[in-house]
Amino acid sequence: IALQRRMLQPGGTPTKIVCLTQVVTANDLGDDQEYEDIMEDMRQEGGKFGNLVNVVIPRPNPDRDATPGVGKVFLEYADLDGAAKARSGMNGRKFGGNQVVALYYPENKYAQGDYEGC
Amino acid sequence: GDSGTRKRKSRWADDEPKPTIQLPDYIKEIVGGIEFDPEIQVLNSRLLDISRLLQSGMALDDRPEGQRSPSPEPVYDNMGIRINTREYRARERLNRERQEIISQIIKKNPAFKPPADYRPPKLQK
Repeated sequence: IALQRRMLQPGGTPTKIVCLTQVVTANDLGDDQEYEDIMEDMRQEGGKFGNLVNVVIPRPNPDRDATPGVGKVFLEYADLDGAAKARSGMNGRKFGGNQVVALYYPENKYAQGDYEGC
Repeated sequence: GDSGTRKRKSRWADDEPKPTIQLPDYIKEIVGGIEFDPEIQVLNSRLLDISRLLQSGMALDDRPEGQRSPSPEPVYDNMGIRINTREYRARERLNRERQEIISQIIKKNPAFKPPADYRPPKLQK
């Protein structure tokens, strides 16, 4: 039953990392000012759910148009509780008109700087 | 862009009450609250599975010999190398399913941003 429960967890197996997909576009991130604004919005909003340790927003590589992870935002929380509240609290919300999908992201991948898999 | 003032509105929309499908409490308990259309969630999770499969480099068609249907006639490229290998066909199958799922998700959720390699199906006359 515990395993079934885990499989049915929306957003995957709980971790301390929340990945927001479909949030921003490469266009939004190209502009430094806009990038800072988005970062600030994420810090503020993410901080409401728990102890937010770090925010990672992969930016597009200027000479390639498809950099892995662009368009996503990663929120790292100090504990599972914060991440869980953020995941359910942010999922389905709108950010700049985009409907956000919030998923848990594997901590090991995040630690390796691998932002591709969500 | 904006004027120099740092007083700007967050891009986060107010937390509007979500149009959730009300489930009986006992299901809610198991699922932990579905935030959006369960159909889309199913499609999304299948989409993730397929993407993972395609990227994993694993053998895509691992059915044992006896359980496969007959292979089609081989097709070779102009170098004499077979094109339609089992692996290739399995990959094509998954790709097709992937594109189809994306189309379905878009139909249900026009705000969905398809991946860069998604090609919308050609409209037929």
